[in-house]
Amino acid sequence: MTDTDPVAELDGSLDARDQARFDAEGLVGPPRTYWGDAWLILKGRWLFWVSLGIIVTFVSMAIVPQLFVWPSPGPDDPSGLFCFLSDARQPPSSSHWYGTDVQGCDYYAQVTHGARVSLIVALFATLITVIVGILLGGLAGYYGGGVDSLVSRLADGFFALPYLVGAIVVLSALTTQEGRQIWQVTVAIGFLGWPAVVRLYRSTVLQVKNLEYVQAARALGASDARIIFRHILPNAVAPTLVYTTIGMGAVISVEATLSFLGIGLPINSISWGIMISEAGTRIEQSPHLLFFPGLYLIVASLGFVLMGEQLREAFDPRFR
Amino acid sequence: MSVTESETITATEVWSPVDAGELLLEVEDLSVAFDTNDGVVQAVSDLSWELRAGETLAVLGESGSGKSVSVQAVMGLLPMPPGRIAQGSIRYRGTELVGASNSVMREIRGPEIAMIFQDPLSGLNPVYRVGWQIAEMFRFHRGLSKREANKKAVELMDRVEIPNPGVRARQYPHQFSGGMRQRAMIALALSLDPKVLIADEPTTALDVTVQAQIMELLTQLQAETQMGLVLITHDLGVVASVADRVVTMYAGRAVETGTADDFYGAPAHPYSRGLMASVPRLTGELGRLYSIPGSPPSLVHLPPGCPFHPRCTYAIDVCATTRPQLEPVDGRSGASACHRTAELP
Repeated sequence: MTDTDPVAELDGSLDARDQARFDAEGLVGPPRTYWGDAWLILKGRWLFWVSLGIIVTFVSMAIVPQLFVWPSPGPDDPSGLFCFLSDARQPPSSSHWYGTDVQGCDYYAQVTHGARVSLIVALFATLITVIVGILLGGLAGYYGGGVDSLVSRLADGFFALPYLVGAIVVLSALTTQEGRQIWQVTVAIGFLGWPAVVRLYRSTVLQVKNLEYVQAARALGASDARIIFRHILPNAVAPTLVYTTIGMGAVISVEATLSFLGIGLPINSISWGIMISEAGTRIEQSPHLLFFPGLYLIVASLGFVLMGEQLREAFDPRFR
Repeated sequence: MSVTESETITATEVWSPVDAGELLLEVEDLSVAFDTNDGVVQAVSDLSWELRAGETLAVLGESGSGKSVSVQAVMGLLPMPPGRIAQGSIRYRGTELVGASNSVMREIRGPEIAMIFQDPLSGLNPVYRVGWQIAEMFRFHRGLSKREANKKAVELMDRVEIPNPGVRARQYPHQFSGGMRQRAMIALALSLDPKVLIADEPTTALDVTVQAQIMELLTQLQAETQMGLVLITHDLGVVASVADRVVTMYAGRAVETGTADDFYGAPAHPYSRGLMASVPRLTGELGRLYSIPGSPPSLVHLPPGCPFHPRCTYAIDVCATTRPQLEPVDGRSGASACHRTAELP
């Protein structure tokens, strides 16, 4: 029924018109949600699609590098899989797009395969910070008092520790005789990252827990665990999610820094950080060794940071 | 979920059905204090009231008179610290609730005593569908399947007169108007058939026509279920139409108790008289609306004697030195805390 349809205006009885209004109220568009609103904002932004494209590219690079790298058979190398020392440190060319590394291996393949380790570290270190941060922050914010003091002072203590010094200490403590593994670096980064998440999540829990619907849930018999996870978590988690996406980019840089300092990943693994640290000494002779992993690192970090920014603007009501 | 199901079974077995007129809730000599940096705030002092099945008790008082704090104490929702129950007892059908364990309180909140809040705008969780939130009560407390719970939720939304409940159940709180949200809150509170419903200023945030509808709905539902209703309000108009008995609070104390008829016919306490005099009337001469002179005392430094004496037009010397106790009033069932109850015109 439209305003320009006089027949419908005159024809419909009051009840029928009311019914139509109710139906329209219920059926026009899908029910809007907090997340639905965020999606509406996100899908109209080109920066969101760009960052999504970057993230999808790098994630698929990490999962199936074969999609991006294929052997290039040559006259000396019918399989296309071998490295020739005679070809070491060649600049980019048509046969080796990104040139070759010190071993004479194709650098494009190296950089592409480096995505896996770098992203694993980023993803799992972030996961550790989020899980620990939300658990401790939730407990501190919800229960307050002694629990809050304990958690907050613990977080303050970790904050007082400079990041790199802390990582050096943790990594030397975790390093066994077999040398460092990926998980040790991941744990070390996650271990030092949680206090920021605790502070952030605790503060949003403090806001949310005093809202009436949380009180109402308690007045209707919900248990503490149910209130913390069912009623508070979905309403308090958005800022934390956004912060940690931004943090993902930072974690990749931290892994690179640690590897650059020689306390990061084991020397035989392939990661952007290790490539950058090895290329540093040869920057004058072979700048491409630094350029390509550096570029990938920057673009991947940028992808996560941009995504984080977009999510923040979509989820934070102050930006709407 | 197996843990919650076993909780459900104990919760429904402990309490027997309510007899007509059974004494449900007793608050006796309740004192609630808040320890603040400025000193101890006596939010509630020596408050006593009781509630029977099928009865509506109105707790009346202005902001800061302790009416909300007293029901928060009943529900075990006081923020502790800084709040604490300094003395007194709260009994639900004989079971002491002061100092009761969390698990006992959880069994009582919801299926026995439920509460609706002042602000329906924030009383529903914004991230869940309204129907889901009501159905959650059936799943969580009654162990119903998802399908059954959803069906009961829609039935209940129909019962609180939400139009198009099937469609409305799938919507989110921000798609509801204020009145509809309060109806949804009522549905949520009534989902477990509570024996006592505490309504903390249920209509304050709504506009006048909706207020009337909500009060009508509450009275109608109460008549159907025979639950006890505690109505916290500062709105004398709301009280008049529904209350059986009235407790008037001032500065954390009950200053007058009695039947609603007595209260509206001839309030005994000077404060109640002041309240009644400050209600705008549709008849009679126009003029400035009466207001009680002065402002409520600080709960940290209560005046000695009667807390109302600095504002009372009937005050005599003894009012400034001796605190009046609630004394029965001649010819009625109520009581008034005033030294001059008998002499007042």
